[in-house]
Amino acid sequence: MAEKGVLDGVRVLTLEQVHALPWGTGFLADLGADVIRVESPDHLQDRKAGPFPGGQAGEEWWNEAGNLVYYGTRNKRSLCMDVTNPRGKEVFLKLVEKTDIVTDNFRPGTMQRFGFDHDSLSAINPRIITLSSTAYGYTGPWRRAGSRARTVDAACGLSFLTGYEGGPSMRASNNYMDHSVGNNVAYALLLALYQRKRTGKGMRIDLTMLETGVSAVGPAILEAQQGMTRDRLGCAHWWKAPHNVYPARGDDRWIVIVVSSDEEWARLKITMGSPGWADEDRFATALSRWHNRHALDELVAEWTSQHDDLELAQLLQQQSITAGSCMTAQNLVNDPHLQARDYMWEFSNPQAPEVGPRVFAGRPFRDPGNTMSITKVAGLGQDNSEVLSDLAGLSSSDIEGLEAEGVIFGSPRPEESRP
Amino acid sequence: MPGILSELRVLELSHRPPGAYCAKLLADQGADTIKVEPPGWGDQSRHEPPFIGDEPHPDRSSTFLAFNTNKRGITLDVEQAEGRNLLLRLAESADIIVESYPPGKLAELGMDYATLAAASPRLILVSITYFGQEGPYANYQGDDLVAQAMGGYLYAVTGSASMPPMGTALQQMEITAARNGAVAVMAALLRREQTDQGTHIDVSTMEAAVSTPSGLIHPYTYTGRNPHRGGSDGNVMDGMHLPTLDGEVTLTTAGTGGRPMQAWAEILEEPGLLDPRFATRGGRMEHWEDLHSLVAPKLAQWNNLDLMRETMARGLVIGLVQTPRQVVESPHLEERGFFVELDHPETGPLQYPGSGFFIDGENAMNTARPAPRLGEHNAEILDGQLGLSLRELGLLRAARVI
Repeated sequence: MAEKGVLDGVRVLTLEQVHALPWGTGFLADLGADVIRVESPDHLQDRKAGPFPGGQAGEEWWNEAGNLVYYGTRNKRSLCMDVTNPRGKEVFLKLVEKTDIVTDNFRPGTMQRFGFDHDSLSAINPRIITLSSTAYGYTGPWRRAGSRARTVDAACGLSFLTGYEGGPSMRASNNYMDHSVGNNVAYALLLALYQRKRTGKGMRIDLTMLETGVSAVGPAILEAQQGMTRDRLGCAHWWKAPHNVYPARGDDRWIVIVVSSDEEWARLKITMGSPGWADEDRFATALSRWHNRHALDELVAEWTSQHDDLELAQLLQQQSITAGSCMTAQNLVNDPHLQARDYMWEFSNPQAPEVGPRVFAGRPFRDPGNTMSITKVAGLGQDNSEVLSDLAGLSSSDIEGLEAEGVIFGSPRPEESRP
Repeated sequence: MPGILSELRVLELSHRPPGAYCAKLLADQGADTIKVEPPGWGDQSRHEPPFIGDEPHPDRSSTFLAFNTNKRGITLDVEQAEGRNLLLRLAESADIIVESYPPGKLAELGMDYATLAAASPRLILVSITYFGQEGPYANYQGDDLVAQAMGGYLYAVTGSASMPPMGTALQQMEITAARNGAVAVMAALLRREQTDQGTHIDVSTMEAAVSTPSGLIHPYTYTGRNPHRGGSDGNVMDGMHLPTLDGEVTLTTAGTGGRPMQAWAEILEEPGLLDPRFATRGGRMEHWEDLHSLVAPKLAQWNNLDLMRETMARGLVIGLVQTPRQVVESPHLEERGFFVELDHPETGPLQYPGSGFFIDGENAMNTARPAPRLGEHNAEILDGQLGLSLRELGLLRAARVI
């Protein structure tokens, strides 16, 4: 929560798991909204997901875990409460009165079963904006189907189009679609807040991963209607050559080079030291380079494989040739450009002191009017008392009672095993 | 329903996909968006194959059509003084300018943020480039593949461990930068309502790529491990693509109550899956070829849509690996009304993807117009909006300003 962020005063209650929705509400948290993550004491799949520091889940494993929970709870508050318990439900509905946005990523039907569907919440608070982030949406024959991000990469057409040249289709990503959806969630919620300022009315948003995915493969969707198909080309290109990933010196080191014009090709030839082969007729024009791209790629690879990829990328860019090293996580953390831009955010979690400082990917945009940083990573149930006393008006004895009755929790149920 | 952003004017000075897609996201929510292109040639993506109907034509590139919905288009030669004058006049009435010139180019045109903000303090300027406005790589050249490489995606995410790095299809990093840009614009608009001040937003496509596989750099900083591509290699139950009767599918072990092989043995009618060698994830990876030889022939007897229906009924989670054509013909998307039809004089009517969300049951995608033809709205905007006479338009055309 940035101090006096643009969303200062906006409150979000979010029933969220895993990646896509937490990523989306994370934008709002970074922009200063009070995002309260209502966590279940059961399952805790996010908090069980590693990697754990030292490869071992510690005593308080639920506050030490890996990527999902650190991204999913940063700058948010955590209320660990069983909303299926009637007292928990009552408290939740009380909080809805003081809330602007309620989001969830359950399958369609679950919110209704809890009594938290849009109409029920809207009856309590007509200004409420609800957003359900699902794989396939609230309508349509697939509405009850579950998903993983990669199953939707598949369903939206992206994975079919992805693959090595001449090879089979391949999984496009493990969790790209989670982020894509998260970005779309943030966009939709900010649009909704903007609209509500004009109309004063809340709204119900049905946002889907499948449709977010399809919206990102628009060109192929248009082509398909004309019976056109796209060949898989790996890192090659429809008309550019050289345009590929090439081996560099060292173990599993690679560089990308992209040549888009005769001028760029001429500059590359000089940078390569004007080898005789580069002047052959078969590489003289864009069309001939493309037709002979496999031979061309092999020759370029012979040259690149003698060089360090980071140095070569820099050299090529200095000659106005489009190129980039295939960065590993280690390269990125040590990258001078990202460091100069203060792209990465460091944070040490006081809830888990043994974990030490960790580095996060920051936001890919800078706006001097809306600065962002990490001020907190929420431990499980860390904010129970604060949320319940400030927002639900409960006394400390009420809160103790809820704890004793097994409605709110400061740690997982005892039967939850250490991951 | 008028779009949420219908009171806003957007000016797009973007010849690269990240800026074009960002402006499209705003236009699809109703913003009155004017795309400014160089006369004669236009946006480079007009010339990118493939073309609808296979015939190369500046109004038929599928990329251009898909990335420029709901915009109006004019041509202006910003290298000429009169072109810059007209551009500045358009800029004065814009709420948002989306641009993707190399850093420094706007200043050369006399249009850097300080100059624009002096005339229009409420202006939100969004610069979307490959590496951002500042930093050692700010002047590097980029494209989607370079962003995938330098963002860590290529090395670690797609592809096979024993093969070279391989990226995902279709400009996903550029689209991710665009989506982040749209989020930043909305945050700036909400800020502007509080302060009456605009701002200058700097979006980096490389950083958008880094932020996407967030599992890359954060775990590295405390485990020292570099994630490596190949997560679907030999992963029959959780990553590989497997052929069906009319397509392909990818399975998961989710939704099986912790007993994946029992659930899959049952639906595929293949008791061999109960072999103890396949009971754990490690065992399934170790013996993946044997597992594959049991699973693949059974899946090959299923139709995609039947398999989806049956697994859904049992609570199993799969992904059909759909072709774009199967997506277009999807009964699910049809029932939801996801696609919107836009008629274009060069291509005829085509179904375009919606925005990915429905508001109060309505598709949130604006259906005002398809992508503009080159210079299509010159007269409408320069005459109608800026009040130029026909004579002046003729003069500008002769001088190749428009």
